[in-house]
Amino acid sequence: MSMSRRGFLGSLAAGAGALSAGAADATTTEHFEGYPGRYGLLHDTTLCVGCRSCEVACAEVNALPKPPQPIGDLDVFDEVRRTSATAFTVVNQYRDGDGVEPPVYRKLQCMHCNEPCCATVCLVHAFTKTPEGPILYDPEVCIGCRYCIMACPYYALAYEYDNPIDPRVMRCTMCYPRIKEGLNPGCADACPAGAITFGRREDLIEVARDRIRKFPDRYINHVFGEYEFGGTSWLMLAGIPFRELDLHEGVTHESLPAIGTSYLSVVPLIVTIYPGLLAGFYAFTKRKDKLAKAELEAALAEARARGEEEMKAKLSQAAERATKDKERAVQTAVTKALAEKAEGGQS
Amino acid sequence: MYHTLFDFLTHTEGTTYILIGVLLISFIPFWRFLTERESED
Amino acid sequence: MSGAASDSGHNGIFTPFNLIAGVILLGGAIILSIRFTTGLAATTNLSNTNPWGLWIGFDVMAGVALAAGGFVISSAVFLFGMKEYQPVVRPALLTGFLGYSLVVIGLLADLGRPWRLPYPFIKQAGPTSPLFEVSLCVALYLTVLFIETTPAIFEWLGLKWWRRLVGQLTVVLTIFGLMLSTMHQSTLGAMFMVTPTKLHPLWYSSQIPVQFFISAIAAGISMIIIEGWVSHRAFHHQVQITDDEFRDINYGLAKGGAVVLATYLAVKLVALSIENEWRLLGTGWGAWYLVELIGCVVVPCILFAVAHRERRLGLARVAAALTVIGVVLNRFNVSFIAFNYQVPHEMRYTPAWTEVWVTVSLITLGVVVFRWFASRMPIMYDHPDYPALH
Repeated sequence: MSMSRRGFLGSLAAGAGALSAGAADATTTEHFEGYPGRYGLLHDTTLCVGCRSCEVACAEVNALPKPPQPIGDLDVFDEVRRTSATAFTVVNQYRDGDGVEPPVYRKLQCMHCNEPCCATVCLVHAFTKTPEGPILYDPEVCIGCRYCIMACPYYALAYEYDNPIDPRVMRCTMCYPRIKEGLNPGCADACPAGAITFGRREDLIEVARDRIRKFPDRYINHVFGEYEFGGTSWLMLAGIPFRELDLHEGVTHESLPAIGTSYLSVVPLIVTIYPGLLAGFYAFTKRKDKLAKAELEAALAEARARGEEEMKAKLSQAAERATKDKERAVQTAVTKALAEKAEGGQS
Repeated sequence: MYHTLFDFLTHTEGTTYILIGVLLISFIPFWRFLTERESED
Repeated sequence: MSGAASDSGHNGIFTPFNLIAGVILLGGAIILSIRFTTGLAATTNLSNTNPWGLWIGFDVMAGVALAAGGFVISSAVFLFGMKEYQPVVRPALLTGFLGYSLVVIGLLADLGRPWRLPYPFIKQAGPTSPLFEVSLCVALYLTVLFIETTPAIFEWLGLKWWRRLVGQLTVVLTIFGLMLSTMHQSTLGAMFMVTPTKLHPLWYSSQIPVQFFISAIAAGISMIIIEGWVSHRAFHHQVQITDDEFRDINYGLAKGGAVVLATYLAVKLVALSIENEWRLLGTGWGAWYLVELIGCVVVPCILFAVAHRERRLGLARVAAALTVIGVVLNRFNVSFIAFNYQVPHEMRYTPAWTEVWVTVSLITLGVVVFRWFASRMPIMYDHPDYPALH
């Protein structure tokens, strides 16, 4: 060992510090790995036979009404269904069987994203991403704005629109209480075809990759949900393009919350810059007004002064003229008086 | 330690809101201190 | 509108306007009582695919933009010294205050649990949410607008000391109001940045916040022109400015409108360029986008400019109406027309007649309350005991 023990331990500690990035060190350039060892589910759509046992089990576990369309009713696949306030999961048929290839089904439910949109957009922090993986919803704080439903890219959330008293957002919970007890989610236990596997997400990714490796003709070479929009807890395997299963293909690995909150950094800027800036505009305006007022007063004063001078000049001119007139008048009178006196003296 | 961006943002945005509130309020006494001796015409 | 006939208050309540307004308001009240007793399903076409409809698209999104005249004109007069617009400050602030009040009422109708409206501030905050920022700013701004409305109330009540106090707050409130408005007008647009897969790319942009803010300024200016058009006639006996002064104010507003719309157009074109979306203009959605852009941005911009140059009041009013229609249309597009554009046709949203009725009721309520204020208080004129400016 070329490094001294202290040096090795020291660098270990520094490395660990960089990796763990304690609260004070985390920045926005960091990549967040999520809670280690968290659970997920693998949905292998090539194994799904559309029996909808998962729908029935989910309703049972969550005390929801049984699906109105009974198992075996194939008409249910005539339309593409979505989850609802009374159905946390539904199975849709996305391709008919054509005699050679079997029909293709997919189970829909909350994807329990690594970086959930619903949690990020909730203004009362009603959603939590648990260390175990499931996202939980707290109806005790929910005000019913439905921004979460609007934001979810998988259309996984539903609302109790017919409830005027305590309407809730309704969604798959990944059977969180069961997971805490060490059980599997209801759908995973109920599936007879092995299309749903529950386990640690990192393990399931390996399982999925393994299946693709073993049966390359059966699967599209992609594990959906590993990275899309930051990744999801539900991972999908398929034999047909994911686009045909109503899943968005080829999207960025950046999470939607990261995209959707990037603007928020502007808000503090406005609060910190506007006061000084606008106070500056106001002071500038006041200064302009003051200068304009001063200019006006100066102009008035000048006009007044000029006016006064002109007035003075006029007055002195008038006074001069008056004096001259008076002198002329006096002169005329004196001349006249002298002339009269001269005339009087002659006679 | 933050495992998710959501936890990180919850903490940082929350702190930032409080910070800008304090900064905004303190601008007012700052401005008054700056301008209270300006002579009025 | 025959508001003038009834603003004296004494000659008969049963004018045509009052009767129609009464019917509308009564209908709205009935619909809302159904909504609150049986839930949103009975009075809206909202669904899990379309959780937001007309009440969010118009009452909140468009409503906030149309109420923007308050911060625009008060900033112009009190921060930038454009004193010639002082006569329209009070009507604009009143429109703003009533507008934002109606936004809150509309929101209370739409929320699943409206009694929990204060929860983000008193129970648990979700600071990561753009909506948290919007609600905080709107709550504060509504307070600002209310205080900015009190000078007229205090003058009416003869409370001189209170009037002087709030008068001294004018500049601070104007600065605060401009700051809050910049934030929440932008963030209303930013709320859609989390849905790039659901909002059509022509409307989705990283610059939506800026677009929303600038279009709100245009909407505010236009609303001042439109509101002045109506009130100047309805309250003509109160108005103290000459017709020429009134026209000059409108021509000045038209000039502002032209510049703001030109800026908005430039911003939209830059957004297309940055995202390289020109080819999308050739699609069906592109045609619809051009209707909004050309019909309600380019055309009113030109009309405003000509109205200012040639001193033509009628043109300015047409331009204002087109701008308002354009901003409303833009908010509709972003919230439910171009939103969910990929959803199958049968799952798309159209407003229920009950939603439309409630929205019209709120607008009617705003007009009625405006008229009540303006016929009693010094909104359209200056009180003789108080100087024109604070």
